[in-house]
Amino acid sequence: MNTLLLYLGPVILLLIVLGFVTYAILAERKVIGWIQGRIGPNQVGPWGLLQTVADIVKLLIKEDTIPKNADKTLFKLSPIIAFVPAFVVLAVMPFSSQIQFTDIGVGLLYYMAISSITTIGILIGGWASNNKYALLGGMRSAAQMISYEIPLVMSVVGIVLTVGSLNLNDIVEAQQKTWFIFPQIIGFVVFIISSVSELNRTPFDLPEAESELVAGYHVEYSGFRFAFFMLAEYVYIFAMSSLTTVLFLGGWNAPFGFTFLPGIVWFIIKFSVVVFFLYWVRATMPRIRVDQLMQFAWKVLLPVALANIILTTLLKEVPFLTHYY
Amino acid sequence: MNAEFFAFSLFSVFAIGGAVFFLNAIRVMHMALSLAFTFFSLAGIYLLLQAEFLAVVQVLVYAGGISILMIFGIMLTKPEESGASKSFQLHQWLSLIVVTGFFLVIMLIIYQNPIFAPTVKVYSPSVQSIGTTLFKDYAIPFELASILLLVALIGAIVLARKEQK
Repeated sequence: MNTLLLYLGPVILLLIVLGFVTYAILAERKVIGWIQGRIGPNQVGPWGLLQTVADIVKLLIKEDTIPKNADKTLFKLSPIIAFVPAFVVLAVMPFSSQIQFTDIGVGLLYYMAISSITTIGILIGGWASNNKYALLGGMRSAAQMISYEIPLVMSVVGIVLTVGSLNLNDIVEAQQKTWFIFPQIIGFVVFIISSVSELNRTPFDLPEAESELVAGYHVEYSGFRFAFFMLAEYVYIFAMSSLTTVLFLGGWNAPFGFTFLPGIVWFIIKFSVVVFFLYWVRATMPRIRVDQLMQFAWKVLLPVALANIILTTLLKEVPFLTHYY
Repeated sequence: MNAEFFAFSLFSVFAIGGAVFFLNAIRVMHMALSLAFTFFSLAGIYLLLQAEFLAVVQVLVYAGGISILMIFGIMLTKPEESGASKSFQLHQWLSLIVVTGFFLVIMLIIYQNPIFAPTVKVYSPSVQSIGTTLFKDYAIPFELASILLLVALIGAIVLARKEQK
């Protein structure tokens, strides 16, 4: 039974993630529609429930085009390189005290390391298309992802210092009394801004600013290869929201001792709040300018994250605060 | 044949295969990508040796950071490359001799070292113990290495600024 679960578990997780992506896209369009005073998709199926399914079917039966002068091998390879890390990072995510695939000691670092591989996929995709818009889009996208990865990693160092471990289970265990969003509020703000940027979402969606530029690195892609890039993006939303829940919102721990709901339900509730927050930000914020983008990462977020590390180490030594740090 | 042996064979074939592709590829981008592949397979071998931290750092620094920097630099070069030049025959033979000599020396050292003797199963050192060793026992070499990196960083900035003027 256990061996069977070992092999079936990832397949089940993949199906859950695909189901999440299908309905996250619908929910995003609905929520943004309501915020902007529109109805959102409501034609396909009851209440628009089959809208994303129809979109996916459309993408799958589209003609598979490859530009004549493209580097064909890399062109085919790059959606795979972009998507696989998005799913692989979920292996260390503790969804509840029982539901976790591997419990390695350096779980947090593993997430950061594997997710940086996706940037290679994006760069290769932009280069292999042999199109100058795709090339420049890929470079912009990679520059943004590299720049915001540094504050993202720096902002969680405060938590690592507090817990004294890189293991995600230990981090959740340490939050039974206080969630880290309260003592690490500066780290949380830096983390959430950098994660929105890592996910290429508004206000940092410069790589694919639909209304201003051609689509960026995936301008030559169509059909299911394009679907794979989009899928990678939404699976990263799943992974990043899970990580936010685990690091700052206490993971599966119940707030105020409300343990009548099982841990996994609390996880799903917190996870949904984070996902909703991402939609809310997208519907509200305007896109920032490209020259402000890099300056913001290097001149604002990085110093603030470093200051947070120093502050945490200082507060760790204050006697009556050691309970929180 | 257990799973560990299977994984080791897979990773080593991948690592060597990536290196062979690196040498045989014509386009620079393919070279960079196969190099990244080799780095990634090496991380897998580290993982089999129970060095989790080293494996993850290998992915973060080499497969992630350095490969991306290389690809970033190569991206703006022209995609069509001229064929390999044939004018360096003597140079190639010299390289072969030096590399073979280096390989022999390394092998000699490895076989003479007691590390090579099969020992009892070693369990992976935790991140805490790596940190303690690094910052307590080897604090001065660690700080020297960071100063070296800082000097390189400042030097790169100075060179880049000189070019701008």
